[in-house]
Amino acid sequence: MSLADLARFEMTRQSSLDALCAVVTERHEKGLATILYAGGTDWMVEQEMRAPLAAEPPLVVDIGRLDELRGIACDGQTLRIGAATTYLEIERSPVIQARAPMLVRMAKDVGAVQIQARGTLGGNLATASPAADGVAALAAYDATVVVKSARGERRIAMAALQTGYKKSTRAADEIIVAVEFALPPAGSPWYWRKVGARRAQAISKVALAGVAVVDAGQVTRLGLGMVSVAPVTALMAATRALALGSPLAAITGEALDRAVDADVAPIDDVRSTQEYRRHVARALTRDLLRQLGAPV
Amino acid sequence: MVQSSPVETRSPSVGTSVPRVDGAAKVTGVAVYVDDLPRLPGELYGATVRSPIARGVLRGVRLDPTFDWSDVTVVRAADVPVNNVALIIEDQPILAVDRVNHVYEPVVLLACADKAKLARAVRAVTLDIDPLPPVFDMEASLAGAQIIAGEDNVQKRYLITKGCADVAGDDAAVRAASAAAIDAVIAACDVVVTGRYFAHHQEQLYIEPQGVVAWWDEAGAHATGSIQCPFYVHKAFTKAFALEATPSRIHITQAVTGGGFGGKEEYPSIIALHAALLAKKSGHPVRLIYDRKEDIEATTKRHPCLCEITSGCDKDGRLRALSMRVTMDGGAYVTLTPVVLSRGTLHAAGAYRWDDVRIESVAVATNTPPNGAFRGFGAPQTIWAIERHLDAVAVKLGRDPLNFKAQNVLREGDVTATGQVLRSSVAGLECLEKAAEASDYHAKRARGPITLGRKVRGIGGAVFMHGAGFTGSGERYLKGKVAVDLLAGGRLGIRTASTDIGQGTETVFRQIAADAAGLSVDAVDFAVPSTTTCPDSGPTVASRTVMVVGSIVENASKQLAARVREESAKGGGTFAEAADRLIAREGLITSLLQYAPPDFIQWDDAKYKGDAYPCFGWACDIAEVEVDLDTFEVTVIDFWSATDVGKAINPVMCKGQIEGGSLQAIGWALSEEITWRDGHITNPRMTNYIIPTSLDAPRFQTILVEAPFAFGPGGGAKGIGELPMDGGAPAIAAAVEHATGVAMASLPLTPERLLASKHAAERKGV
Amino acid sequence: MKISLTINGAPRELDSAPLVRLLDALRGPLGLTGTKEGCGEGECGSCTVLLDGDPVNACLVPIGQCEGRAITTVEGLGEAAHLSPLQKCFIDEGGAQCGICTPGMLLAAEALLRQRPDPEEPEIREALAGNLCRCTGYQRIVESVRSAAALRRAASEGAAR
Repeated sequence: MSLADLARFEMTRQSSLDALCAVVTERHEKGLATILYAGGTDWMVEQEMRAPLAAEPPLVVDIGRLDELRGIACDGQTLRIGAATTYLEIERSPVIQARAPMLVRMAKDVGAVQIQARGTLGGNLATASPAADGVAALAAYDATVVVKSARGERRIAMAALQTGYKKSTRAADEIIVAVEFALPPAGSPWYWRKVGARRAQAISKVALAGVAVVDAGQVTRLGLGMVSVAPVTALMAATRALALGSPLAAITGEALDRAVDADVAPIDDVRSTQEYRRHVARALTRDLLRQLGAPV
Repeated sequence: MVQSSPVETRSPSVGTSVPRVDGAAKVTGVAVYVDDLPRLPGELYGATVRSPIARGVLRGVRLDPTFDWSDVTVVRAADVPVNNVALIIEDQPILAVDRVNHVYEPVVLLACADKAKLARAVRAVTLDIDPLPPVFDMEASLAGAQIIAGEDNVQKRYLITKGCADVAGDDAAVRAASAAAIDAVIAACDVVVTGRYFAHHQEQLYIEPQGVVAWWDEAGAHATGSIQCPFYVHKAFTKAFALEATPSRIHITQAVTGGGFGGKEEYPSIIALHAALLAKKSGHPVRLIYDRKEDIEATTKRHPCLCEITSGCDKDGRLRALSMRVTMDGGAYVTLTPVVLSRGTLHAAGAYRWDDVRIESVAVATNTPPNGAFRGFGAPQTIWAIERHLDAVAVKLGRDPLNFKAQNVLREGDVTATGQVLRSSVAGLECLEKAAEASDYHAKRARGPITLGRKVRGIGGAVFMHGAGFTGSGERYLKGKVAVDLLAGGRLGIRTASTDIGQGTETVFRQIAADAAGLSVDAVDFAVPSTTTCPDSGPTVASRTVMVVGSIVENASKQLAARVREESAKGGGTFAEAADRLIAREGLITSLLQYAPPDFIQWDDAKYKGDAYPCFGWACDIAEVEVDLDTFEVTVIDFWSATDVGKAINPVMCKGQIEGGSLQAIGWALSEEITWRDGHITNPRMTNYIIPTSLDAPRFQTILVEAPFAFGPGGGAKGIGELPMDGGAPAIAAAVEHATGVAMASLPLTPERLLASKHAAERKGV
Repeated sequence: MKISLTINGAPRELDSAPLVRLLDALRGPLGLTGTKEGCGEGECGSCTVLLDGDPVNACLVPIGQCEGRAITTVEGLGEAAHLSPLQKCFIDEGGAQCGICTPGMLLAAEALLRQRPDPEEPEIREALAGNLCRCTGYQRIVESVRSAAALRRAASEGAAR
């Protein structure tokens, strides 16, 4: 599309989440798309690559400053992050720094500061790409996605969210409102490592997010999310089972590699190769388990 | 009491880091790049319709009849008066006529005042092309099963011989005898090593995309744009519009240019021609600015290059004989390939002494977008090969590579592969020793790779030289000129076609002129390079701007100042007063000088023997790297460069060239890669064509070495623009080899390739 | 759509379709061509401006979202007669060569120095990681920012006394 086509779009704002839901559902029932625009860092780039607009452009609703989609709240047990929270806000949040530091570390690896100032968790979830760093981090926290439509509010567990490449159980007219997760105990080990083509402004070739609780040499809780190794964010079920199923000292590198192989289905693409992704998936997982105390 | 005029000064400017003169405009955002130019009345946007396939017969162009073409200008091949991009060979059409030879080949031009409509118009053009089998692989092209260009796909050949391989005559039997001779000498050597080395495409990725604004009026054709060489564009216009008889009716002006690195050397002729064709047909000014995707797809790249090397040396490490085959991929049209191949061939023997040399080089066509100028211009590719080869020889000898290279590096009085006696300004060994000392290379190398957790560190170096200025008699043919005007108040005004594209021409020339005239830098002006007002100084390429054109500036300024001082001595007064008197009496006073190359240069263009370059710049790069053994990511921790610049006119700018060029070399080595499918570039965006960010760049430690060239301005300045591109890649490969044992012969050293190499070595049990 | 915003401290108003990119609004109707387009996809950072103090890529921000907000462009950092320490250091220390990345680089550096008046080198490099430069190799840019930080600290200590 020519960027000049952008001039044909209209943009509105809604004063409340309910009003927004009503508009979105009404348009959806008429077969009309609505673009919910927060940071727009994915969408704007996609527009440049699309064919020129033949028909009427979809309506764009600016949701970047809708208060009900913003804010970081903690009640001691649960953290709730509004969907329109930017990565920069996450990095600057004292409660996230204290209780979910892995999110801060992940946020600093997203693009660069200009992208962090605009990109949001909600946007990342909506794009639903397996290359989304934020989605993997939320998966590691076993987060729940709160969505709302004119039909009411729903909660979708991260594990149940993605059904295929860029496909989700969230209905087309359900708006992502917030993410919630139970805070791990203070000081819980966490892991974030991103492997990209350069140290900033890179889409992950592979990235691994992990949050764990370890008790007397045994992993008692483990959340994992791996980026760019499958059509969806890889939740690493076999790896989790292995780590939870025996004392750390009994975990071997070979067994771990086999579990990782079962959990990933990497491909060759413009960014990397299947061989490399498989190798790095194993290496990062060993790195994580090693940090927890496994002799791998 | 004699008051000295404010323009005069006693303190020399050369050697001081005068802040760049165009700096204030750049840091305040008022510098005018081509797309900052205000829109002219009635200005249209331009766009290009390009071939979607790599090779075929163009049967026709169809404009969608349901589209409203009434306000769209359409230009096709038939609209082009002389449909050739004038460069070296007339093989490249400005717009395809009945054949297409690469994806993105321009076929139709469109202009419209409505940008959105223009984008739809591009899609409303259908090209009817009957595909033909394309050739993408240069070895396949050379083998000639499919002829896609000329009679045999060959765009150019060279042969350089020295010693036993030197045989008189040029027929097949003689060439075979020459090859047999070198093979025999090599076979008789103590240590013989053979290797194959490949260097890949690189995109210049100047941060400002290419662009031109063109219009026609009573004065003729005008084009202002992001241009390194206004007179190249001028020449292209005289040919295309049949204006050879009236060259003054073509006005090409450089806008402030956001990087070029060679990518804006010859390509702007095409984009300017396109804009001018649209402007001519529409009767309106046309603005043709590429977006990043089109820029990466359609413009030139560094030539891929395969070098096959066999060498022989003594047990004690003395190099004896070198046999090399160099194959370069020119892409679909010849463009500058003969010169790129020339420079690559002339640098292929490296910075070393050989008794016997035979280098045979060939450039072939493939059905890919034509390759072209990029900093280094063939030399980075062949230097990659010879450096990696000598690293392999060092391994076989059980010697440290840098130590082995020091033994063999050319010294003053030595003779190069073309028979050039290096009489002066030779600093290879000095650079090597300084870089080794600064980096503590020998101690680190002796300690072996150092493992820290899951990472391992290593160190490696490269030694190289780069010919400054045009090859052989190039400058004699070029007849480059500079004009320096005497202005009111005793100011000097430089008029030259040499452009500042970031490297600092505007500032350095002022320094040279100021010192030559005994004036302060503030007393010198620099005119915007325009073919209307400036003489043809030759192109801003080949590391010639300071050394060659700068010396004309120096002489012209000296001459003018001498006249003023003569007048001042005769009639009294300050420099400014004498200057004003002269101007009042004689009107315009200009010193217009042509370059006079040093007499000693003897070059035989037919035999490719003699003084290939007036002088060489020398350098040694040493890289310390850390390789992650889990991910094979390579981090460059430190990068030392001891670089001989002859004379540093502006030390900060010299270092800027060295650091910037080195990072381009590092990017080429580690992360930059053009990926292809069926002749299409699959990564034509900044998200997928990976250049280093500030977090990827190492700390640079630059040591300026000065081995003055007697004919260089300011006390001996030599060319510096390209030299820094030549050493980074082999230095990093050597460091990676030291760290991991993995010896890479092909670029780039991406983690995926390092992993694959390691796996392959493990399977072989190495 | 009528959009009112503050640019470089001055109230400005324009009438624009809301999804027009901030970059195009700045370079077109607002007459500020100092902000550059290098890639149009948020990778090169040459379009960096400050939006309510935070660096963003103007090529990815729709003008409609700028209602009531404060934008700083390179034109707001200082004019030739009154260069800011950052601008001056970029000139003196070789932080600018071809200059096309310079406006964006200056804004990213400005944002950093407002938050961290005494940054270490790794912080400087991280703050500038979204601004690609092809000419300099970044070292002179990092030196420029460091020098400017020192000048700014000295000036503010001087003012405080």
